[in-house]
Amino acid sequence: MKVMVDKLDTENVIDLTIKKLQELSFEDYILQTERSNKSQIRFADNQITIVKNWASMDLGIFAVKNQKTVAVELQDLTSETILSSLDSLDKLVTSLPPNQNYMGISDGPFSYPFIDELSDPDLIDFHEQALDKVTASINAAQEEGAKRSAGVLYWDAIKVQLISSRGARAKAHSTKYEYTIRSFIDDTSSGAEIDVGRLSSRIDLEEAGKKAGRIAKMAVGGINGSPGKYNVILAPKVAGDIVAATPAAANPFSVEIGLSWLKDKIGEQIGPEFISVYDDALLPNGLGSKSFDDEGHPTGRNVLVEKGILKGFIHNTSTARKAGTVSTGNAGLVYPQNTNIFFEPGDHSFEELMEISKDKPTIYLTNNWYTRFTNYADGIFSTIPRDGMFLIENGEISKPVRELRISDTMFNIFGNIKAMGKDIKQIKSWEVSTPTFIPAVLLENINITAATS
Amino acid sequence: MTAEPIDLVEKAIEKGEKLGAEYIEARLVDLKSNTSILKSGVPELGAIFRSKGIGIRVLKDGGVGFASFNEMTKDEMNIAVSFATKMAEASGDKRTNKIAFSEEEIHIATYQAVGQSGKRPLELSPEEKISRLINLDKIAAEVETGAIVPFRFFQMIDQTEKKLIITNEGARIECETDLLQLFGLIVAVNPTTGSKEQLMIQKGKAGGYEALDFWKIEDHIEKEVTTLGKIVTEAKEAPKGTIDYVVGPNVIGIMCHENQGHPSEGDRILGREGAQAGESYLKQDMIGEKIGSDKVTIIDDPTLVGSYGYYQYDDEGIKAGPRYLLKEGIFQDMLHNRESAAFMQTKSTAAARAIGYNREPIPRMANTYLAPGDFELEEMIEDVKLGILMHNFTEWNIDDRRYQSKYVGLEAYLIENGEVKHMVRRPVVETTTPKLWGSVDAVAKKSLLEFDAATCGKGDPMQGAPVYHGGSFMRIRNVEVR
Repeated sequence: MKVMVDKLDTENVIDLTIKKLQELSFEDYILQTERSNKSQIRFADNQITIVKNWASMDLGIFAVKNQKTVAVELQDLTSETILSSLDSLDKLVTSLPPNQNYMGISDGPFSYPFIDELSDPDLIDFHEQALDKVTASINAAQEEGAKRSAGVLYWDAIKVQLISSRGARAKAHSTKYEYTIRSFIDDTSSGAEIDVGRLSSRIDLEEAGKKAGRIAKMAVGGINGSPGKYNVILAPKVAGDIVAATPAAANPFSVEIGLSWLKDKIGEQIGPEFISVYDDALLPNGLGSKSFDDEGHPTGRNVLVEKGILKGFIHNTSTARKAGTVSTGNAGLVYPQNTNIFFEPGDHSFEELMEISKDKPTIYLTNNWYTRFTNYADGIFSTIPRDGMFLIENGEISKPVRELRISDTMFNIFGNIKAMGKDIKQIKSWEVSTPTFIPAVLLENINITAATS
Repeated sequence: MTAEPIDLVEKAIEKGEKLGAEYIEARLVDLKSNTSILKSGVPELGAIFRSKGIGIRVLKDGGVGFASFNEMTKDEMNIAVSFATKMAEASGDKRTNKIAFSEEEIHIATYQAVGQSGKRPLELSPEEKISRLINLDKIAAEVETGAIVPFRFFQMIDQTEKKLIITNEGARIECETDLLQLFGLIVAVNPTTGSKEQLMIQKGKAGGYEALDFWKIEDHIEKEVTTLGKIVTEAKEAPKGTIDYVVGPNVIGIMCHENQGHPSEGDRILGREGAQAGESYLKQDMIGEKIGSDKVTIIDDPTLVGSYGYYQYDDEGIKAGPRYLLKEGIFQDMLHNRESAAFMQTKSTAAARAIGYNREPIPRMANTYLAPGDFELEEMIEDVKLGILMHNFTEWNIDDRRYQSKYVGLEAYLIENGEVKHMVRRPVVETTTPKLWGSVDAVAKKSLLEFDAATCGKGDPMQGAPVYHGGSFMRIRNVEVR
């Protein structure tokens, strides 16, 4: 019978979906609804270019019949679309061969951990304040000498509800903001900074503007650098991309499709003894923090690297059972996903990192982009420094350099960590999609190439 | 109460005009998509995606506001239009140089780019789709290469998108497009040395499942995997020093896209993407300047029938045609939407694309290629003393002004005294854009022209746009290889 429902609220959607899934005899299912309100202010040349708002209600379903696995994602939640999509899903599931990698979803019911600082009601109606804060940030960059700044402030409020056929019942409410500003003195002298978090009280766009402006000013007059082997100090933004790439590759799905360089490496020393890294879903204010994963399994803090040794991978129920272990609470709908990657900090100030490297040719990278791989399975890659890049001489920043590229392997990057800074920053940016808590990092003996002589 | 989506689009325009919008566009996008994922022969997932939503963009008082919604009610529409208008006013108020849209011819049009009967995405049975994919994996796993192929991943996505764009200026564009995309990641391993090489395959085309036959996909996979096996077992070290390169359609395509397509985007040149995709080494006052050799003509043409980046009218309702990014080496056209065109006091080049109802239309590429020349491939090779014939690439990257780029070869051969010799491993072209285009002295004939598909990333939030890029063969003289 066709059920007619007008604008569907979340409970209607869930009831209608479960009833239909049961009617179609799906053995297992997980459904997740998300009601969100997201906003964004973009700016360029010191002026706001556009203000955006997205209101959305989405439904995701993972379902299993005869060990065949299917999924549906709907951004069109009329009862007619829900029902017809589930009929299509049923046709699809009958046509597939069994998925031998599927080994079940997590058995509930569960109790979930409490995580502090996940949401802030003040971020829901934030537009007027946001315009003022962005303007203040642009002005701060200009006061440092920036001629023009571009950037984006994004913020959202999201309500998620999850129900599984195995007894998981979970709800979450979260907010977050992400800010990037990039300031220019001229075409090739620029600096960038980010500020991300979940609470409006922590937002400091003005400070981000100042830092971007300051780096841009320091970058003026840069000369083309020379290729060769260097020690390299990575700002947290860069370390969050190329140093955190190795713990992020501790994913069985990536290993199985050749997108990871960590196959058969568990138990091996892959970094120095002072490096420990976790996937930590419970960090207050962490953009990846959440109390349940996409199976409704409770999340937690899982060690990935301990004293430089690769200790384990993140898992969902299927990958865990296949590996003879238990879920780490990292289920995504298709493959395990990181929450927050957290690096234990070192005890060095930035000045001390420069001092440690004073006898070797050293370059300081404030930002990078466009990391690409010749071969993921061996971790052979290159990435391009972006914004202020500086030569370190005698333990101090001496002059700006340009037009260089890191061309090396991920094993060298992680294995050649010489020292870690003490000040951790949360990174999520254009290049770093997994929220990563990481300090500045000193690497030694890294290969640098150049397109220009 | 729910409402008919088309009524909401029309009412949104009325509402925007009542609120004083100088310009309002409403875009309804109804997307139906299916995905099959195969991991080393195992069907990991069959997935269905359905989305229907409306995006509203308003220009008022020199500012722009955008809002989207996917719950089809009059309330949601009213909230979206009011928000977009209010935010256009608020941001416009703070601007010293007001945003305007270029004056353009208004069009009312309907068009389709869909698959053959029985081969359309929603018509073909899931059984046929998955069995063809499983067969591709079998070919990759079983082909005799001398290497082992332990990592294999395939993903096939089909989609049918219906779109209606209406503006308060009277434009009304209705279109329906089918797209098919096939992605493959295959890694071959030398069983003796453990040495590995990866191959990424991306095919895409407007239309339905007839594309698989058009690509001769089974033969293609067999050939590519056989070659991959040879690379890990036979390829020798690539020469260094100053040498020539002859590069094929796959390499030319990515070079045209990265080194000339992106820097020609009007919004990048204006700095609007400065914090994300970056700016450009090109400037407005460089139009007419010589960037490359006479042999280099790079065209971006959305209207190539059957192409992955196909459209007749852009997402602002402007009629599309070929754009000459470089004409005989001279910088000629930019990729403009109406906003970037107005800032440069010119006309749109119909490059506005919005990937989804919830995205704003920004300048994008469509199908970018190097215009063929009149050389035979053999002719180009026989004139090379020491060089490399590079058919395709693995790693690549380029700085955010699109000035210094790097391309690492996959299938590549040594050229010595005009003859193609053994395979070489991972040759690198690391050079600047003007040096690259300035060093081209020969381009092969039209019969060798081929295209590859890609998903071009730009925007924030990210907008992955389907694009084609390609060429025939070109010769690059005196590349410094360190």
